[in-house]
Amino acid sequence: MMSQEHSEDIGSIILHHVSNSEVLVPLHIFGLDMSITKHVIMLWVAGILVITAFLLGTRRYRREEMPVPSGFSNFLELVVDYVHNQIVVPNVGRQYARTWSPLLLAFFTLILTANLLGLIPFFDLIPGGGTATGNPVVTASLAAITFLAIIAAGSLAHGFIGYWKNLAPHGVPWPVLLILIPIEVLGMFVRPFALTMRLAANMTAGHIAMLAILAPIFLMANAWIGIGSVALNVGINFLEMIIALVQAYVFTLLSAVFIGTAINPEH
Amino acid sequence: MEQLVNPYPGLLIWTWITFFVVLAILAWKAWRPMINALEKREAGIRGALEAAEKARQESEELTTKVEEEIRLSRYEAQQIISEARTVAEKIHGELEGAAKKKADELVDKAREQIEAERERTLREIRTTVVDLSLSLAGKVIERNLTTEDNKKLVEKSLRQIGKA
Repeated sequence: MMSQEHSEDIGSIILHHVSNSEVLVPLHIFGLDMSITKHVIMLWVAGILVITAFLLGTRRYRREEMPVPSGFSNFLELVVDYVHNQIVVPNVGRQYARTWSPLLLAFFTLILTANLLGLIPFFDLIPGGGTATGNPVVTASLAAITFLAIIAAGSLAHGFIGYWKNLAPHGVPWPVLLILIPIEVLGMFVRPFALTMRLAANMTAGHIAMLAILAPIFLMANAWIGIGSVALNVGINFLEMIIALVQAYVFTLLSAVFIGTAINPEH
Repeated sequence: MEQLVNPYPGLLIWTWITFFVVLAILAWKAWRPMINALEKREAGIRGALEAAEKARQESEELTTKVEEEIRLSRYEAQQIISEARTVAEKIHGELEGAAKKKADELVDKAREQIEAERERTLREIRTTVVDLSLSLAGKVIERNLTTEDNKKLVEKSLRQIGKA
């Protein structure tokens, strides 16, 4: 039977898994609490993996005038080509595509790698583990970059004043503006907030679901339940891989769309 | 729950640091060169396709031109042949006419000559006959000039010769 005490145990285990860890290495720089936690480590691992993969896979592109991709660089080129030609160019426009492609590529590769790393149980051992992109603080800081990039993109294309003027449609009577301007300003903050919550919630929900499905094995102390639980979790794990890819794509696509609307206002 | 949404500033800053390190290194070393290469390749493929299309059009134009020229020269050859035929026929006709004329002339000349020869021969014969007759007559006359019948006979003979 499931005791109250037992279920609280499971709850805290799940929460512990998806939450950031206690401080592993206390670190204070200029009075800021820069302590290293497991999500910081996971971010580093993701960053190092992305940098290593791209630096090793693109040597040819730094050497040759007209490189022909092969093997791993083919795959990297697929990623770069997809983000550049399918996400950035259609949404941001050809004129500014080259300016914003690297930023959106950084979003896509870093988020995708962090998402997928979170699915590998091995990282629970080194210490750390867990999905960095499941932490709302991490996704909020990424969304903050989008927030600033939107303003920067608008200012770059229309001037700083021009960007703010573009927020409100031209040729609208002033009473309407009284309603529209607060809505637009609110929208500026709602968009990054939606990015933050969408990514963090999606990355956390899968882990909670998987742990909750495994929990009955221990709660009921019955190994037979494990057959069902593990089979279900294998399925969910595949689903999680798709979600990891889709959420990285969605974050990148929406950032590109927002940057694009700042550059090409539809008013 | 506290841990899950704890607004811990260190993580925020670490995220930015990680993100911008990745962005800076890869934008500089990987993504800019890759995007450049992609765009260059795209331009290259587009250029090659356009060149191929242009070459195809040019060869098509050339084929049309060559065909037109062949047609034209065939027509010209036909023209030349038919002209030559006309000229040949004309020359043939002219030659035939000239030959006929010449032959006719020759025939006429021959006829004239024959006629003249005949005339001359006749004249000669006439002279000879007259001479002969005269000598014959002389001989006859010598013998029987008196005979009236003989005289008449001679005269008749002479008349007949003269008529011929």
